[in-house]
Amino acid sequence: MSLILEFYPHLLAGLAVTLELIVCAVPLGLLIGIVIAVSRAYGGSLLSPLAYIYQLVFRGTPLLLQLFIIYYGLPRLGIVFNPLTAAIIGFGLCSGAYHSEYLRGALMSIPLGQMEAARALGMGKIQTISSIMLPQMIRRAIPGCSNEITYLIKYSSLAYLVTVIDLTGQGRLIAYATFRFFDAFLIVGLIYLGLVTIANHLLQSLERRVRIPS
Amino acid sequence: MILVSVCLGLGLVLGVPLALAYLYGPRWSRPFLVVYDRIFRGFPALVLLFLFYFGIGSFPGVHLSPLMTVFLALGLRSAAYQSQIYRGSLLTVTKGQTDAARSLGMSTRQTIWSIIIPQAAYFSLPGLSNEYSILLKDTALAFAVGVMELLTEGKFIALRTQAILPIYLTVGAIYLVLTYGGVLVFWAMERAIRIPGLSGQSRGRME
Repeated sequence: MSLILEFYPHLLAGLAVTLELIVCAVPLGLLIGIVIAVSRAYGGSLLSPLAYIYQLVFRGTPLLLQLFIIYYGLPRLGIVFNPLTAAIIGFGLCSGAYHSEYLRGALMSIPLGQMEAARALGMGKIQTISSIMLPQMIRRAIPGCSNEITYLIKYSSLAYLVTVIDLTGQGRLIAYATFRFFDAFLIVGLIYLGLVTIANHLLQSLERRVRIPS
Repeated sequence: MILVSVCLGLGLVLGVPLALAYLYGPRWSRPFLVVYDRIFRGFPALVLLFLFYFGIGSFPGVHLSPLMTVFLALGLRSAAYQSQIYRGSLLTVTKGQTDAARSLGMSTRQTIWSIIIPQAAYFSLPGLSNEYSILLKDTALAFAVGVMELLTEGKFIALRTQAILPIYLTVGAIYLVLTYGGVLVFWAMERAIRIPGLSGQSRGRME
């Protein structure tokens, strides 16, 4: 307890960085997820396989490795990011791949007749996708995507391993300053648990709010 | 690979009793199970690793090697996730079967062992295959406490040879093969122990 009172400015600073990571990475991930899901479903013979390969690669390799490639590997090609940006890009790319699977599943669950009906009413293909399919797809994918978002909150701690001083990083600094390792990491863990719980509640109420009756 | 097998094994050995305790155990055990579940599923894997390595490892009289830390932290974490998988699949076996078995004179223990578990085992395979691919990728975190696993080795080679990008891409390719190879094995297992006529059978989805 005394640890919290003594170091709460540090914990808050860490929390702010963690929140920044999450708030930037979640929309990025969702956006990438939507693009990949739609390209896989409607991309034709060129975009569809590309989207598939994207999913395969980003879901088949560890997130930490992806972060290492972005932060340590890409500068060799002249592409340099600061640690925070690298972490956000890495999280966005990876969670986008997972989101896209949930979104694609949701897209597949929409009856094909709706597409045909919209086209028969004279809507263009892009118009049909954006105003008929997307709104339904996103609603149906909320439970899966919520799952992925809670995963992302927990995995945001990996940012520490590419030198971002987030909540985990601050926890480690506090641990080394006080030598109370167990307490420090327990507090940090409980804060993450709180974040995950709050996010779950928010997402559940969002799911209820945007539900289409019947 | 040893990391993955040990953690998955530990998760299996602990996850099944956890799920059984949650569903059929005494009432007093419930709060403990919930706390265990919240901690191991709610904390980030990295924080768990640090908690075990620096936290519990610094208690007087306790010495945890990095490898032990990873086994314990990721194994216990996997047990928490696996217990949810097993809980779900135990629940898919309909209540009527339990009632039928009991009315035929089988004891509760007998019912669980010979009626529920064999069916639930089949239903939990898709979830288990997911857990394998998640765990495989999480073992890369062992890097953080200095265990020489695939990614750590890759990093050392990368630093020594300065060929950072090619080394990391190769490491990535190895992970890809391990992930999808493992998932194929799970599919094969699923087909092998398929029970004809049992409803709800489908191929496991990759996570």
